[in-house]
Amino acid sequence: MIERIAFLAPDFQSKEPRELALLSIISQSFIQPFSIEDNLLVILTALTSGSGVGFNRAMLFRTDRDKLKGEAWLGPRTAEEAKAIWDVLSTPGIGYVEIIEHNRWLMTKLSDSLSRSIKPLSYSLAQDNLTIPATSAARKEMLLVRNARQEPLVDPRFLEILGVEEFLCVPLLAEDRIMGLIVLDNAFSRQPIEPKDVKLASLCGLMAGNYMYAAWLHNQMIEMERLAALGEMAVFITHQLRNPLTAIGGFTDQLLNGGVEETKKRRNLEIIQREIRRLEDVVTKLARFLKADIRQAAPFDLKAALLAAVRNPDLGRKGAGIEIVADIEEPLPKAVGDPTYVGEAIRNLIDNALEATDKDGRILVTARRQDQSWAVVTVEDTGKGMPASVRDKLFTPFFSTKDKGMGLGLLFVKRVMEAGGGRVEVDSEPGRGTSFRLFFRTGDERREGA
Amino acid sequence: MKHILIVDDEETLCLLYKEELSREGYEVATAGNADEALALLKAEAFDLIVTDIRMPGRDGVELITDIMALRKDIPIIINTAYQSYKQDFMTWAADAYVVKSSSLVELKAKIRDLLDR
Repeated sequence: MIERIAFLAPDFQSKEPRELALLSIISQSFIQPFSIEDNLLVILTALTSGSGVGFNRAMLFRTDRDKLKGEAWLGPRTAEEAKAIWDVLSTPGIGYVEIIEHNRWLMTKLSDSLSRSIKPLSYSLAQDNLTIPATSAARKEMLLVRNARQEPLVDPRFLEILGVEEFLCVPLLAEDRIMGLIVLDNAFSRQPIEPKDVKLASLCGLMAGNYMYAAWLHNQMIEMERLAALGEMAVFITHQLRNPLTAIGGFTDQLLNGGVEETKKRRNLEIIQREIRRLEDVVTKLARFLKADIRQAAPFDLKAALLAAVRNPDLGRKGAGIEIVADIEEPLPKAVGDPTYVGEAIRNLIDNALEATDKDGRILVTARRQDQSWAVVTVEDTGKGMPASVRDKLFTPFFSTKDKGMGLGLLFVKRVMEAGGGRVEVDSEPGRGTSFRLFFRTGDERREGA
Repeated sequence: MKHILIVDDEETLCLLYKEELSREGYEVATAGNADEALALLKAEAFDLIVTDIRMPGRDGVELITDIMALRKDIPIIINTAYQSYKQDFMTWAADAYVVKSSSLVELKAKIRDLLDR
């Protein structure tokens, strides 16, 4: 017997131990497509919700280079607010999504003033005479402070904002890095912080630290990829410009040096003109590619765009002997995107298909609604196909299998699709052919909502 | 008369190099890809080869390897639009590396140097 079990239950509010519930909320948030800010909010939420550890308030500091800066402070401002929040959070059946929603609302409406009050707090981790709370991060140890007013090591400015005598500092660590710090207290319930709370808070701190580290690494990686792409682009443009420039320079020099007969003069000028047009083409393609995602995406008539692309007279000239078949479902919903760019993207795909297909081959363009939210366009050929090694690089900038290809065509297709919230997929088999699938968001819901 | 082989997939550049080097008093043959170049090398004797790197089919680096196997003594000049191939150690086997430019002065000077040796 095989039992299928949801990886993580969406509802944590049951008879499970609260420790499990807490870790469950945090883990679940990490596999959601939330932003880092939202996920940090989830951690603060977990630490302050009645079902979690149950601290009253959680304050987050994040490290920015060698500075520890106050970032967010989650919790009620008064005992009445505290009671209202706890009532909401202890409603049976409330899941993490509701709690996050609630807290997002709380952050904007209620505790904004709380978060604002800690924004001026900034500690340099590089300096020697650190005060609490920064000491906790710098020394990478948790600190439980009681009778704070009698402790000279506590920063008085911080204490004045916090306004309580007892609090817990949890550093957020990953490997040897200090990612931030969380400060927890029980300002309203006045419950002393117990050893089991400290233990659980430390676990949350480890999870949060590692999560922040992963997010930081991810950003670093994106930045590196961006730089690498820029480098490749520079090399590529150089090449695209140098060949025509060499020809233009050389044939111009011939003209200037004299001794060229009349017929050759004209030939030289024609070559120069042709090479200048080539340069212009490079510039146009690059410019078009670079601004492909700037235009506004809006619902448009997908069928009209497809027919315009398929019936383009240029295709007949390029693909003599190749049959182009369009199979468009009726009625086809509106798709979201820029019709001009989508048209060009589909043209690109058909052009590629024509180049890959032999004389007696066939290109099939289909369009159909997949479900309420998606419409799918496929461009399929019976051409030579490609191995996985080529397929995996198709959307890499400046990768081309064509002699004079710029390697921007398919990347353009991808960017056009993503600009409208869609995506592109490709299947290919050597000797069998290639199939591109464009997934468009349908424009129906918007119209209904309007 | 010294015999030079130009290998470049850009027809326009082959034409330009052929005319310019003929004017300098060389006998010039051109090839549009590595295979054409190898066929010519097997059929005729050349004193120097100028080759592009990025070409359809086998590239200039592979061509150099083949030429070395065929005849070690022919001087080779790499003439490419890319600076970056200098990092490929296989290009070090060439006698000179000239980046394509709107002026042929450097290429012509390198050819003279190598043929005068």
